[in-house]
Amino acid sequence: MDDPIAQLLSRIAAQDRLAFRQIYSSASAKLMGVLLRILGNRAEAEDALQEVFTRVWLRANRYEADKGRGMTWLIALARNHAIDRLRARRETQSGDEAAMNAVIDTAPRAETRLIAAGEVKRINQCFETLEAEKAAALRGAYLTGTSYLDLAAQFNVPLNTMRTWLRRSLLKLKECMEQ
Amino acid sequence: MTSAPLELPEHEALAAEYVLGVLGLAERTAVESRLKREPAFAALVHDWQNRLSDLNDDYAESPAPNLLPQIEARLFPQTVKARRWFGWAAGALTAGAIAVAAFVMLPPPMPPAPTMTAELSAEASPLRYAAAIAGDQLTLTRLAGTDAEAGKDYELWIIEGDKAPVSLGVLTAASVTIPAPKAAAGYILAITLEPKGGGPDGKPTGPVLAAGPLKTI
Repeated sequence: MDDPIAQLLSRIAAQDRLAFRQIYSSASAKLMGVLLRILGNRAEAEDALQEVFTRVWLRANRYEADKGRGMTWLIALARNHAIDRLRARRETQSGDEAAMNAVIDTAPRAETRLIAAGEVKRINQCFETLEAEKAAALRGAYLTGTSYLDLAAQFNVPLNTMRTWLRRSLLKLKECMEQ
Repeated sequence: MTSAPLELPEHEALAAEYVLGVLGLAERTAVESRLKREPAFAALVHDWQNRLSDLNDDYAESPAPNLLPQIEARLFPQTVKARRWFGWAAGALTAGAIAVAAFVMLPPPMPPAPTMTAELSAEASPLRYAAAIAGDQLTLTRLAGTDAEAGKDYELWIIEGDKAPVSLGVLTAASVTIPAPKAAAGYILAITLEPKGGGPDGKPTGPVLAAGPLKTI
């Protein structure tokens, strides 16, 4: 399978510094987009980007090409780091403020929808099978790393209701994607 | 006939919630320590990562500044130490501490002198670069011309005889120092204009803006 990022990762695992520079050129804009969307401010996103690429160098040997594409691995690394930062920050923030940020963050963005529009992905068809509100909660949670706590405040439902909603939606999504 | 389950098994629901990013800090930490101990649980997380990965298309790209110098300084401290020493030495000299510098500090290894150089240019292009290979580093310095137009990048290639060009990476600044490739006199260095991020599939697609052969000094 053609996966230039995966090839770079295997060279980085062998301590190839040039490959490290190439992966920065190829992936930094995408990862910056991820970090900016989750963290919401450029200074922190840039700080996080340094940390993420530091981890790319240190952890490239854990990437297994048969378990997913290189870019998926990179984005998971970036999302996980950003969400950990967000949680560390949010848990010292007032609930109202956090919920407010969540509402702003999850607004659909036309320009990013257009990128995916050229190619109708299976996941989008599967999102169509969910109730609109639940699909929006699921998509918003993934893209912005919104916590259960903030989602419950945003949709004005108890925490347990939100958990049940999302778990059922995840199950439906899985079944749809396996069809 | 089997009916679909109404709920995900608890450990799978947790894996999905971790990937979705809805868990609190304490729950995330617990999941992360489980990931290290339980390969079966880690496999569930991988599955969910792949299942939701098409949502990644929704993340718009955002240009990132070149943070490589800071990242590399953190990862590869020995190259920075050498540079710091020079900075420190310059300070020491101006402070009149020449004697201390000369007798207390061991002299640093001198940077190796260049062994090969190249001048890169092309008739129809204003770009001109000087390249020098010294020890295990290749330094490329822009002598004339400007940055690539918006949405494009300059990419550096090395070509041995009539073999396919090998990418040495996208130029992130007017002057760059990169690990030296395998090279010999007569190999060609070339710079092409490519889409942002470099030629797709690692092959040059744009016009050659500057090129020149490596010569042994």
